[in-house]
Amino acid sequence: MTVALAVPAPLRAASATRRRAARSAMLERVDDATPPPATSDPTLEDLLVAAATGDRAAFGELYDRTATRVFGLVRRLVVDPAQAEEVTQDVYLEVWQTAPRFDPTRGSAISWMFTLAHRRAVDRVRSAQSARDRDLRIGMRDIDVPVDTVAESAEVRIEHERAHEALAGLSEQQRECVALAYYGGLTQAEIAERLGVPLGTVKTRLRDGMIRLRRLLGVTA
Amino acid sequence: MTEPGSAGRPGPVDPDDLLAAYALDAVTDAERALVERRLAESPEARAEVEAYREAAGRLADAAPPVAPPPSLKSSLFARLDEAPQVAPLAPEAPAPVPASTLAEAAPAEAAPDGAGPAERAARRRWFQRPVAIVAAAAAAVLLIAGAIVGLNWGGPAGWGAQRDVQAIAAAPDAQTATLPAEGGGDITLVWSEQLGRSAVQAADLPDVGDDRTYELWYIDASGATPAGTFDPARGAAFVVLDGEFEPGLVVGVTVEPAGGSDAPTTDPIAAFET
Repeated sequence: MTVALAVPAPLRAASATRRRAARSAMLERVDDATPPPATSDPTLEDLLVAAATGDRAAFGELYDRTATRVFGLVRRLVVDPAQAEEVTQDVYLEVWQTAPRFDPTRGSAISWMFTLAHRRAVDRVRSAQSARDRDLRIGMRDIDVPVDTVAESAEVRIEHERAHEALAGLSEQQRECVALAYYGGLTQAEIAERLGVPLGTVKTRLRDGMIRLRRLLGVTA
Repeated sequence: MTEPGSAGRPGPVDPDDLLAAYALDAVTDAERALVERRLAESPEARAEVEAYREAAGRLADAAPPVAPPPSLKSSLFARLDEAPQVAPLAPEAPAPVPASTLAEAAPAEAAPDGAGPAERAARRRWFQRPVAIVAAAAAAVLLIAGAIVGLNWGGPAGWGAQRDVQAIAAAPDAQTATLPAEGGGDITLVWSEQLGRSAVQAADLPDVGDDRTYELWYIDASGATPAGTFDPARGAAFVVLDGEFEPGLVVGVTVEPAGGSDAPTTDPIAAFET
């Protein structure tokens, strides 16, 4: 069974050299922890920490700087725009309410927010659609939609490109499993059924894929 | 990168094998419950999941960014007033305050500098306003109905209370919820309406010393009723609450002077809505 998702052909064919370059660029970036400070703008972590004290201006700026990314992720899973908006609003409300629990020493602000967003999107998808519907949708979509559908800040564009580079570093099979899980909202068992492979194989591919992704990104446990 | 086709792999599931799938939300509710109990007791597993989540965050950025309609932001901000923030994680366990002082204290004094009005409102005499505190805490609660049934609880073996907790967890109508405790650690509440009992499992709670103790509370509209104290061993505890559980009660956990208090003297480190 072929799956029309994951990374576009040009990236799939990326040369090893290019991947190495991308990898070292990412490692560098992760090493110095904060995004390259083009200006003295507060980081997303600064904004989230300020929002935790009830600072609505900081929360507003956090929203402005992350909304296209969060909404993009939610839309990727929850295809219906009205539902995706509802979920996104709930995500930001949860961000606001639980911001005091965010611990900047344990991870980045955006990853914390994506975790909340993904969980809510998956919950919505699972309650609203049968696995078969999700399958069809995933099969029809491809994550390679042009970035310039919306005027993007450099920050967002760069992150989007990095993400594609990282995905290109996975094997085809790993990418397929990871994408079905993350973008399709499928459980491991559903992925196994869909691909017609044993559950153990799916678990291995997911785990190895995520370990590889971590390594590519220079994230250590 | 080997791919053994170990089909189905019957037998007990090792939660550590599920961490990557958990970070991708590719687990069932039962598997999620299993992983979350593992996370509650293992800092290594938590670090592992954090790292997977950072990587998963990169997957999120591979989705094409899409601008939400401007109306989304305005309706979001219109909802903030009725969305109290949870209390921040205390760097150390809160110092006990005599109940009489707390009752009279100006609400602002109970909140750290810079706390928002919503948060101050949520913290004000919290146990007399269980709905407010729970509205704040509920955002972080994961409700997993029945998922605990048939699963093996971790923790110190041979502890009498552990078997009692297990008995409650095994009730056909058992429900559980897990909350991160302020100050560190996680607390899982399990309750059964049929049995009229509830219990907590705690992991990684900080040591509060000999002169203080953790105390449990059943809270309803009329206020808080003491439901027992406990002192975790190496951060872990299994405790069945004193008194009768009824659905709709709020279960709170506070840090109190040794021996316990008749009414909460500090803000809760966790509050569960049932």
